[in-house]
Amino acid sequence: MSTAFIEFRGVTKAFSGKPVLRGMSLAVDKGEVMFIIGTSGVGKSVTIKHLIGLLRIDEGEIWFDGARVDQLPERALAPLRKRIGMVFQSSTLFDSMTLAENVALPLRKHGKLSHNDALAEARERLAQVYMAEYADRYPAELSDGMRKRAAIARTLALSPEVVLFDEPTTGLDPVSARRVDRLIRELADKLGMTAIVVSHDPPSIFGVADRVAFLYRGVVHVVATPAELRASPDPVVQQFITGRSKGPMETPGF
Amino acid sequence: MTVAGFLTTRITALGAAVLAATRAGVELWLVYVSTIAGIVRGFSRKNRRNRGELARQLHAVGNKSLVFIIVTLGFIGMVMTYQACLQLGRVTGDYSQVGSQFLRLIVSDFGPTLTGLMLATRVGAGIAAEIGSMKVTEQIDALRMSGVLPIDHLIVPRFVACVVMTLALSVIGSLVMYGAGGLTAQYSFGVNPHTFYDLSFIRPRHVVLMVVKALAYGAAIPIVAGFCGLRARGSSEGVGWATTAAVIGGSFAVIVLDFIISAAALFVTGGDL
Repeated sequence: MSTAFIEFRGVTKAFSGKPVLRGMSLAVDKGEVMFIIGTSGVGKSVTIKHLIGLLRIDEGEIWFDGARVDQLPERALAPLRKRIGMVFQSSTLFDSMTLAENVALPLRKHGKLSHNDALAEARERLAQVYMAEYADRYPAELSDGMRKRAAIARTLALSPEVVLFDEPTTGLDPVSARRVDRLIRELADKLGMTAIVVSHDPPSIFGVADRVAFLYRGVVHVVATPAELRASPDPVVQQFITGRSKGPMETPGF
Repeated sequence: MTVAGFLTTRITALGAAVLAATRAGVELWLVYVSTIAGIVRGFSRKNRRNRGELARQLHAVGNKSLVFIIVTLGFIGMVMTYQACLQLGRVTGDYSQVGSQFLRLIVSDFGPTLTGLMLATRVGAGIAAEIGSMKVTEQIDALRMSGVLPIDHLIVPRFVACVVMTLALSVIGSLVMYGAGGLTAQYSFGVNPHTFYDLSFIRPRHVVLMVVKALAYGAAIPIVAGFCGLRARGSSEGVGWATTAAVIGGSFAVIVLDFIISAAALFVTGGDL
């Protein structure tokens, strides 16, 4: 059993023999906004994809709401994926569908709504992120920020309890990025939604996070509130949050 | 390095390659089984949305390949007849059997196999590139998150479209090949069209062989291409790899299936084909 809402226990994962996660553990409480930060390729996105079975862990355990979820077969993951939504890094709207059809897809499949009901519901969801007038447009015709908002609407359409954001502000202009930040904060404060956000955008980290997990060398190096993180004497943490190119931090590939 | 050490590294490398190939084979088989299961599910669900997608795929695979198949098979028919007549002219000078034997070859082998090879390049590359780019841009993951089985949504309609259209295009391609061959024989060697277009040597078993081959190729091409697309990793390089692998794998599958089905047909008919 696990007491935390979401818990990773000693998770390891290697790709083609190259270890990425080496016994990583992290507990996330209900209703909190947890940021996972770290350098590129350290396994932040990999970590959150394990939670919803998009990737399989090599060793360890993952618990969600008192149940172990890392060994569920693909078919048994549908209820989990209804409760935990994910906003992907590159928006990943389906190119061949309009925005309304994109948002309607999970409503039809998970929510078992009819095609027309799902489309009507999708239009309402798009209106919530100020995208109603673009409902019949295709993703390729829109800007990155618009696509990101539509992707968030698609994820929120099922009213999930947990939303995983994979670099939600990367590639957005500062204003759109802060709007996304505000949306994440509102979801947690008003709806009690739990959010796990993968990011390396300092304004997001220090503006939105309840707690921050700093991933380094395949394990969680430190978990702290943003204020504690700023005050941390750890030289690796300091190098990351101040963005210095020189320091003790190992950055593979550079 | 000692001899034992050298052998150990080589055997380890060989073992790893065999393991990887076996794993890929199992995955390919799973894609096939899941696709068949998806078709069965589709029948029981009577999903209207998927019918629209099927129509789109039929158009993409069939109608859009039509000109390509007509042009390539037409030219091949002309060249083959020309060469056959040229060689026959040197040896016997008797063109009376050219058309009927050519038709037998087309129906029992060249028609479906050349169509299959052409579709393996055109359709296989298209499917692998489309699914591969969806894979590397995480759209496949997003589909899974939306409660959609990627095989049902992406591979099943392409599979059905490919099976139907490979058969249809094989028939059309064979007719074009035969027609083009007849014109070449008539205008280059003065062969009477009545002599060339002689259907008396065609037996039902030849037509059965054509249908079996076309269906087998039509099933193999989207499965191999879809499998390659789903295995794409990384970014555009991964999509390039998937496309190349799909064309090579699809063409290879067509040729191997041609061999197996032809051998089986010879065995079943006791050599009387």
